[in-house]
Amino acid sequence: MKTRNWKRFFVAAAVTALAAMSLSACGGSSSGLDAIKERGVVKVGVKADVPKFSLQNTATGEYEGFEDDLAYAIAGKILGISAEEAKAQKKVEFQAVNAKTRGPLVENGEVDYVIATFTITPERKETYNFSPAYYTDAVGILVNNDSGIETIEDLDGKIIGVAQSSTSKQEFENYKAENGIQAEPTFQEFATYPELAQALAAKQIDAFSVDRAILEGYKNDSNKFLDVRYGEQEYGVCSNKENTELSELINTTVQEMLDDGSMTALMEQNGLTVE
Amino acid sequence: MLNGLLKANRWNALLEAIPEYYIPGFLMTLRTAICGLLLALLLGIIFGMLSTSRSRVLKAISRVYVEFFQNTPLALQVVFYYSCLPILLGGTGMRIPKFVLGLMGVGIYHGAYISEVIRTGIEAIPPGQSEAAKSQGFSYLQTMRYIIMPQTIRIIMPPLANQALNLVKNTSVLAMVAGMDLMYFTDSFGSSTGYFAQAYFCSALMYFIICYPLARLARYLEIRSMRQPVAKVNMTQMMEDSINV
Repeated sequence: MKTRNWKRFFVAAAVTALAAMSLSACGGSSSGLDAIKERGVVKVGVKADVPKFSLQNTATGEYEGFEDDLAYAIAGKILGISAEEAKAQKKVEFQAVNAKTRGPLVENGEVDYVIATFTITPERKETYNFSPAYYTDAVGILVNNDSGIETIEDLDGKIIGVAQSSTSKQEFENYKAENGIQAEPTFQEFATYPELAQALAAKQIDAFSVDRAILEGYKNDSNKFLDVRYGEQEYGVCSNKENTELSELINTTVQEMLDDGSMTALMEQNGLTVE
Repeated sequence: MLNGLLKANRWNALLEAIPEYYIPGFLMTLRTAICGLLLALLLGIIFGMLSTSRSRVLKAISRVYVEFFQNTPLALQVVFYYSCLPILLGGTGMRIPKFVLGLMGVGIYHGAYISEVIRTGIEAIPPGQSEAAKSQGFSYLQTMRYIIMPQTIRIIMPPLANQALNLVKNTSVLAMVAGMDLMYFTDSFGSSTGYFAQAYFCSALMYFIICYPLARLARYLEIRSMRQPVAKVNMTQMMEDSINV
């Protein structure tokens, strides 16, 4: 009787696991350029909450910013039309992503590519394809005005909030080591930027450290940037590694845009300072 | 995600991450769950008994507690304890330790549910028994301790076990406020490497390791309590009805 129970238990467990697998398998659709052309629309993951880069207009529901324009340019290349046509004909289906969802969405094939302030790292390159960098950003630190924190050394013993799956913590450690800074803060990770901003406002964390592009959106009267710039990092267009055809097209498109100056033009158009 | 499931290097990364991510997370979750369960039981017993007492005021207090915490989301309660409670307590910059946040969160929330479980358990015992005990000179607490509770336990054990298991799993809301629990470290490992399949698999296994023995324990207690004699509810009810007629 006892062994029979166990047998039943294992069979039930196996069936459950199989069901879960087949469910997750449904997400992955076969792709390649032809599949996208056949579909007629390009699915792109972008941020919805990063001013100048990609911000969803709450009135119209449209995504607006540098990264969205880049998404149109690449979509145009895939479908053989211009970026303006892709935008006018609504050939891009945007999906809002965050630091946690963007990777799996690309891997599952639910979006064709992601342009979402996604930093290129060697580890990530093993899992995803990245285009040449289209933007270079740095890590910033936002603190409350009344916190008494003026320099990076003042962060000793404080709590720094960072975003899950961001490189901010590693960059801080690197900067510290390179410059011999004596500060031992602890790090806490949060899933979204609004949660981080809220934790800072409620003084549950002492500092909010993510990429400057993102931090700009959360700057207000009661907080300020620390005067440091470190951890330069490059953003790339991320796509599924197994879809080589698409990856190559994205890589060449981004490279062309960098070479002929149209990338710089897009940045200026969206109010980003070009260095 | 399915493809990633079969890649050996990702499983190796998981094994390497266990001491740094999963062990501290597991311990935090276990600690929060155990203390949270004790708090929930304590609150549940207190408020459950209050709601069966004869005092209207006590009943009302218990009602308010139960309805408030049952009808608002746990996630909201925890976020409230995290960001608003310190301000209400007066200190700006005051911080409640994450362990206390978790213990309060699940303890108070499930305390409300357990209070209801206990109330219904007590009410299932025919009132004639309390009256008989009273006539024999038992105090309220003595009646509870010697007459009502031993029978109640048998009735409430299955729903109580349900609450205990849900409590363990609900400790995962701590992750929302960087609670350093199992779910927090799971998300942290998963999102920093992109190996979500491995991250969640290991996490599920660890929650299972806590929940399964708890479920077995509850089952054991349930079987043991069946040895207790229990009032024949229907019989008593029938007798009472026939007398009233």
